[in-house]
Amino acid sequence: MSNVRSMPVSPVPRSTRKNPPGGADHFRHALDAVQVGVLTFNRSLGVLFANKRFAAMLDMDIQPNPGVTTLTDVLDACAVFKGASAQQVLEICLASIAADEGGTGMLPMMVETGERTYAVQASRIADDYWMASFDETTERRVAAASAVQLATLDTLTGLPTRQHFQDRIRHIMVLAAKDEPEPALVMLVDLDRFKTVNDTLGHPIGDALLRLVAKRFGFIFRQNDMVARLGGDEFGILVTPAPDQETAAKLARRIVDVLGRPYLIDGHLINIGASVGLASAGRDGLNYDQLLRSADLALYASKNAGRNTFSFFDIGMDQRAVARRNLEIDLRRALALRQFELHYQPQIDLDRDTLVGFEALIRWNHPERGLVSPLDFLPLAEEIGLIVALGDWVLREACQQAARWPEEVAVAVNVSPRQFDDAGRLVGSIAKALTASGLPGGRLEIEITEGVLLRNDADVLTALHQIRALGVRVAMDDFGTGYSSLSQLHSFPFDKIKIDRSFMTDRGDVDGQNAIIRAITALGVSLGMATIAEGVETSEQLARIRTEGCTSVQGYLFSKPVPVSQIDQVMLDLAARRFALPLS
Amino acid sequence: MTLLYRVLYCSRNLMSGDADAVQCEIRSILSKSRANNERDGLTGGLLFSEGCFAQVLEGPIEAVERAFERIQCDDRHEEVTVLQSGPVEARDFPNWSMAFTGRDQFADPLDAAALKQAFGSRSPNGDAVLGILRGVVVREEDWLAPVA
Repeated sequence: MSNVRSMPVSPVPRSTRKNPPGGADHFRHALDAVQVGVLTFNRSLGVLFANKRFAAMLDMDIQPNPGVTTLTDVLDACAVFKGASAQQVLEICLASIAADEGGTGMLPMMVETGERTYAVQASRIADDYWMASFDETTERRVAAASAVQLATLDTLTGLPTRQHFQDRIRHIMVLAAKDEPEPALVMLVDLDRFKTVNDTLGHPIGDALLRLVAKRFGFIFRQNDMVARLGGDEFGILVTPAPDQETAAKLARRIVDVLGRPYLIDGHLINIGASVGLASAGRDGLNYDQLLRSADLALYASKNAGRNTFSFFDIGMDQRAVARRNLEIDLRRALALRQFELHYQPQIDLDRDTLVGFEALIRWNHPERGLVSPLDFLPLAEEIGLIVALGDWVLREACQQAARWPEEVAVAVNVSPRQFDDAGRLVGSIAKALTASGLPGGRLEIEITEGVLLRNDADVLTALHQIRALGVRVAMDDFGTGYSSLSQLHSFPFDKIKIDRSFMTDRGDVDGQNAIIRAITALGVSLGMATIAEGVETSEQLARIRTEGCTSVQGYLFSKPVPVSQIDQVMLDLAARRFALPLS
Repeated sequence: MTLLYRVLYCSRNLMSGDADAVQCEIRSILSKSRANNERDGLTGGLLFSEGCFAQVLEGPIEAVERAFERIQCDDRHEEVTVLQSGPVEARDFPNWSMAFTGRDQFADPLDAAALKQAFGSRSPNGDAVLGILRGVVVREEDWLAPVA
């Protein structure tokens, strides 16, 4: 966690700490009085509150500043947590954020610091608030707790629980002789589409399905092998000793086959799938945590490979996961650290040969990584939901900038499909960005991809109409790739169609590309939508798109995307090349 | 009266070995299934051909579901595809605890072709297979006679 050391945190002597002023603070007093360390945080790992017990128990030497201090800052400031234990706490918190869709509560995890053991439990307490509790436990209590859990089987399926599974693996790994390199094989199994069954047919059917799944496992594995229900629709299997690769593959294939066979429950024919990840004790992990992590990464690979399949762990998965995790940690902090900036690429109207706007494009300037490509971080930002906060920032920033430009110049902002998950919120963000900057709605254009409309969601259409009502124009981005269906263009009166840059390559079938461009511009004319070509780099390409009837253009031929500081220069350069502003 | 339910599925045979061994295995499947079915009030038909099974099970819904689940866990077949499932008015095989046909050649060559197509394609036609089963299901006692 050395990469967070540079965070500005202000040490506050304990004696000067006070409760914040204000009357309705009795909850805070109450929380300060309990004997459990309490820490609350949000999805971006910003720490909102830590009670007194937390600070005292963990020897924390800062006062968290809500909205600024991150969880990593806090852990760094806790003398008790170092290295692995800090990482473990961070992971528990991240896991609770990741699990918020699953709805199952997390069991407390034991975090050992060398001197003491803490039971750490994190869960969501409100929309964007999570709470982690830290309870100092003695060894005896830990042992008593696990003894109780050991004795219990999962009440739904009758299978051993996660705790049982974990203890058995730990036991085997400790007892494994040195000359036995691979004492056990672990398989993690996750049911595909189980959530859909629960959602559409109800929990009783979902429960019945889990019981049948548990029974089917019994036909695949021997009495000796342990099949445990790890929670939700996740199962773990322990095969001892580890079979050879071929046998392991055969078993995994059989899981995918047998669990994927149809189920008949209460007259409903149900089809689910199974994804499997395999890892060998010893080779893929020297302790329980490492082993499960490896199996989990292999499971993740199976899911990424389209589900209904199995994967063995390989070391590349680990490296990719570490790289992704580091990127995620950096990305979550980048907004607060102001590492993002917008670059702007001019858009030229081809009827009048005038500058009409700039497209705002996000750039991430990382202190060590350098300039990170949007292709590398935007998909991750989408996946972890950070795109919503990032998208809001882009809207605010682009509108602020555009408000300083000549009146005729608009700004185009890309909006991600994820931002439409809460479409009402997006409309609010756009309205706020306009109000705060004073930019008239008519000078903002949002670009959406067809993925937004593919969901066929009434809320999305309502929001698009509300956005239009603000005077904001809506453009369909990347048209010509993907589905590019006419029905989508028909479902909403877009102002503009942006022709995908892949039709501007000068490679391969140029005549064919021209024909597509012509078809799209014709479509635009008949639907009353403007068309813009992007990726135009040469005057030949410009001539081509003029001939095919595009109404506007952007690309390196005019200017690459530039930082704010160079916008004036770009305007001057364009003017010198006849692409002036209409009135200047 | 309890609700009648019918399920029709086909699957790929995984039994290996010579014809006699397979016959022997099928015989054991049939006798077990007939005993179970009589006990549970189930009727139906089993067809074994071209390395595939097709089976109809009909009866009270709980019994059909139990038998179906038992069959799903059997490792002598794979790639189970349900062609038809749902409530029915009447049984198609009222007199058979498990009728069977196991010849690779059918009396009607058209049926054989249709069957091949139904098994070969990824979206088999349930009604066609049911029709074939109905049409050709007879006791194939010769085929199943104990190997001397």
